[in-house]
Amino acid sequence: MEQIAFFVGAIGALGAAFAVVIVKNPFYSVLALVIHLVFLAGIFLLLMAQFLAAALIVVYAGAVMVLYVFVAAYVGGIEEPKWDSSPELRIVGPILAVALFIAISIAVLGSGLSALGTPGPDDVPSGFGTPEAVGHLMMEDFLIAFEAASLLLLIAAVAAIVLAGRRREDRKKLPGGEGA
Amino acid sequence: MPDLVLGLPLADTNFVDATWIMIVKSLVIFIVILSLVPLLLLGERKLLGRFQQRYGPNRVGPYGMMQPLADVGKLLSKQAFRPKGAVPLLYELAPALTIISAVLTLAILPFGDVQGDVGFYGIDVPIGILYFFAFSSIAFYGLLLGGWASGSKYSFLGAMRSAAQLISYEIAMGLSLLGVVMMAGSLSLVDIVKAQGEIWYVVPQIVGFLIFLVAGFAETNRPPFDLPEADAELVAGYGTEYGGMRFGSFMFAEYMEMLIVSGIASTMFLGGWMGPGPPGLDPVWMLLKMIILTVFFIWIRATLPRFRYDQLMSFGWKILLPIATLNVLVTAVLVVVT
Repeated sequence: MEQIAFFVGAIGALGAAFAVVIVKNPFYSVLALVIHLVFLAGIFLLLMAQFLAAALIVVYAGAVMVLYVFVAAYVGGIEEPKWDSSPELRIVGPILAVALFIAISIAVLGSGLSALGTPGPDDVPSGFGTPEAVGHLMMEDFLIAFEAASLLLLIAAVAAIVLAGRRREDRKKLPGGEGA
Repeated sequence: MPDLVLGLPLADTNFVDATWIMIVKSLVIFIVILSLVPLLLLGERKLLGRFQQRYGPNRVGPYGMMQPLADVGKLLSKQAFRPKGAVPLLYELAPALTIISAVLTLAILPFGDVQGDVGFYGIDVPIGILYFFAFSSIAFYGLLLGGWASGSKYSFLGAMRSAAQLISYEIAMGLSLLGVVMMAGSLSLVDIVKAQGEIWYVVPQIVGFLIFLVAGFAETNRPPFDLPEADAELVAGYGTEYGGMRFGSFMFAEYMEMLIVSGIASTMFLGGWMGPGPPGLDPVWMLLKMIILTVFFIWIRATLPRFRYDQLMSFGWKILLPIATLNVLVTAVLVVVT
């Protein structure tokens, strides 16, 4: 049962991820990304990470992807002509992709993820993956990293507002330009 | 070893019944809520009639009681029509998505504590209220796909409005519940109801309650926040091109979501299943609270005119969100101090 659920989730997630890249219509591409996230949340559930699964759906499928869909529905929706790349890019592209893959593989294998490829523990401690457990980790063990990340997001949000505001002022100065 | 749900180690749950009990109670919850929806439709039309100094439906059956049956019969017997410009698969998928996510959310509404071997709820997950938010964000894709796949400008504008509205009000809604979560110290809805033994959270969290109600109106697309289907400007918004039972599914989902938001509000703020009488009466109290709040939804619909779109946005971001944030801050300080 567990294996079946895993393979359903894995095939769904990978298939949807491929669809994101392959599909020509940007709107369908975004929808495929949403499907990918839902399958990914299912895999998180199998790993007992229920809080992570819920957060993935609420934050990414529920908020971030809504914005993407919003933009894609307004400006996209047209079948893009197949992008004919220049011959140089056709050679350099795959090389860069393979290089990136190797770099990520080295990073993953060389990191502390030593349990990769092993069966993993038979018994998961009770309460693993609940909001309480995640909260304790974030507020006690990894407080500085957590706060640094939230500070980074705050800076990004403020920067976005500043940039958007500045552009609006520029437009006002233009003669005959649309104000705000 | 964590409890297995249907043989899958999906998640920790606080209490798991035998599988056959789970199946039976899923059916009971589903049937009770599903049969509440037509009653609610009738009740709404009757009440709206009274609010507007007219009779409301009174032709079909005694006191018009059979009106919802006649409506459903009509919807079911209609031709399943798809306009030429619609996207085939997505057009059919959209209403299904909306109703599936609404039905799935019913699972976490607690109608009582564990009594004997049976928990009077679908499932009690530690992520509790996040489950509700997860499925309400999936329900949104139903509206969006419905509007986009219809291939009509009215539908499209309705879908885009619902996207903007959802993002704006979901944040305020989440923050309004955060105060309750902090006071109860748990996300599980069953634990939150149990924590209200001394005092219902509507008293200390009155600000959160009001914000939740306003955001709830917006999330369920009910008047005065029914801009996605504003019939004066957009015909019927995302539902313009739908007919028959596909339209019926959207309608059913909307009413079911109204019941769910009422249920969440009763659970978080109004003491859930708590009430005088033996424990056997618990589900009755919960249902009663849900129905009273739903009648309030209908009352508001009859009372307030629709917002303008810019009013909706500035209200959500400039008034509701700051108040909700302030409420969370004050609650956090009070929880730590006391």
